[in-house]
Amino acid sequence: MSELIKEEELKKEIENKFAGSFYDLNISRKNRIWIGLNADKALEFMSFLKDRGYKHLSTITGFDEGENLGAIYHITDYHTLVNVKIRTPKNAPSLKTVRDIYPVCESFERELEDLFGIKIEGLPEGRNYPLPEGFPKGVHPLRKEVKLDELVKTLDSKEEK
Amino acid sequence: MAKITIPLGPQHPALKEPENFMLVLDGEQICDATVNLGYNHRGVEKAAENRNYIQDIYLIERVCGICSHSHVSCYIGCVEEIAKAQVPDRAKAIRTLIAELERVHSHLLWLGVAAYEMGFETMFMYTWRDREQVLDCLEMITGNRVHYGINTIGGVRRDINAEQAKEVLSKIAFLEERTKYYVKLATEEPTILARTQNVGKLPNKVALERNAVGPTARASGVKMDIRKDEPYFIYDKLDFELITYHSEDVFGRVVVRVLELVESYKIIRQVLSALPEGPIAVKVPWKIPQGEAVFRYEAPRGEDIHYVKSNGTEIPERVKVRAPTLSNFQSIPYMLKGDYLADVPITIAAIDPCMSCTDRAVVYDAKKGKTQVFDWEELRKYSIEFYKKKGVNFSGK
Repeated sequence: MSELIKEEELKKEIENKFAGSFYDLNISRKNRIWIGLNADKALEFMSFLKDRGYKHLSTITGFDEGENLGAIYHITDYHTLVNVKIRTPKNAPSLKTVRDIYPVCESFERELEDLFGIKIEGLPEGRNYPLPEGFPKGVHPLRKEVKLDELVKTLDSKEEK
Repeated sequence: MAKITIPLGPQHPALKEPENFMLVLDGEQICDATVNLGYNHRGVEKAAENRNYIQDIYLIERVCGICSHSHVSCYIGCVEEIAKAQVPDRAKAIRTLIAELERVHSHLLWLGVAAYEMGFETMFMYTWRDREQVLDCLEMITGNRVHYGINTIGGVRRDINAEQAKEVLSKIAFLEERTKYYVKLATEEPTILARTQNVGKLPNKVALERNAVGPTARASGVKMDIRKDEPYFIYDKLDFELITYHSEDVFGRVVVRVLELVESYKIIRQVLSALPEGPIAVKVPWKIPQGEAVFRYEAPRGEDIHYVKSNGTEIPERVKVRAPTLSNFQSIPYMLKGDYLADVPITIAAIDPCMSCTDRAVVYDAKKGKTQVFDWEELRKYSIEFYKKKGVNFSGK
């Protein structure tokens, strides 16, 4: 495992510092670390990463696991990518903004709001992104319960009016 | 003087990526700018969840008309990682070859567009003529000029033979000569210098903070190139330079791109001279086992990142695409601040935003309550005239 020195070191540090606040932590290959984190520790964990040189938030991927929605924050120091997975219950989905740590997150977080309907606490009101203005309210297309046929029908009927 | 707000964009049916810039002007100078995106959301991610992995290759290829190979390679990288497919060396080499040809094609295209926005139409004609050579190479190898369709899960779909390799090399030799001329032009021609130096400033610190990627970041002295940082395909075995420049302006972005052309020719030669023997693809079952993966790829415009999650069937659970332009857009408001309205076209073009962008500008005079509509073409003309008055002129008239 000599190849993974850097990854193992970071993993150990996370295990010590954040014991009990994550549900999954593994190294899938060189330069890839995955962590499933409890939502309350999100901001603390990201400041910890940033202090260690992980300054580039590549993007945020939203996901729908059925009972839970969530987001994966892909954070890198240009070499190693740390994927921070945070879940939030589907009946009241909400995540805190990471604006203070990664100011570039805004468009990524708006995507979570639009496409998954996850409320982002602390994100100022703004226009829709990436969905168009006038897109039916409450329809979040990347949620699994939204089926393509029905979505097309809804949008078509709206256009006819 | 009263400040004026100008919305620039967003719609034109002929363009592929409309966006909108709100520019606040104080006289000729821009004192604030915001970017609004999302006018052309096509729902590719949702569509990908409704197709199988093979169909998704062709869907993802159409995310972009220029970086088509980049997006597919990035997506396929994820799928192959989940499926634990051992891609043959020859396939990796061919992917690298196409990737670099694509970079040459994209940078030449950009050079032309940038020249056009400056009013230097001769150079636009030159670079686009030369770009045909590389498009011919791509067509010869893959059968297509733009959407190559060469990638498949587990390898590539077409092999390359000795004759084709020879043809590519001869075309590259021609392009290399031409590029020498462009390097000279871009670094010495006083009119280009006048239009690009100290325009669209992006200091190193800001570039890092605002997630600039690709040539935009490298022109601000950020040493980042995924081909070096996290090598994929066969980039770890190749000898090439990571080009950076420290002028932090549009000029730097021109220099970085023309010098990257030279590096790409170097890479293409190396790949073709040591093309490994063997099969070009391995069979990968239609059903991909459960798992998830992220792949980072250095597209001509910068870091492209895809995420794929599989659920054990032949249809992916989730596909996420983040193209480099979205990352680079964060820097645009900063670059525009303090610049002249006449510098807007070249500054926006300098991040190489798939040249979709803007085409309509409404000028609203707060004092007079008057609205004037500019389209992109008029704004371009305005910018050329503005500089002509200052003695910066490409036409000699």
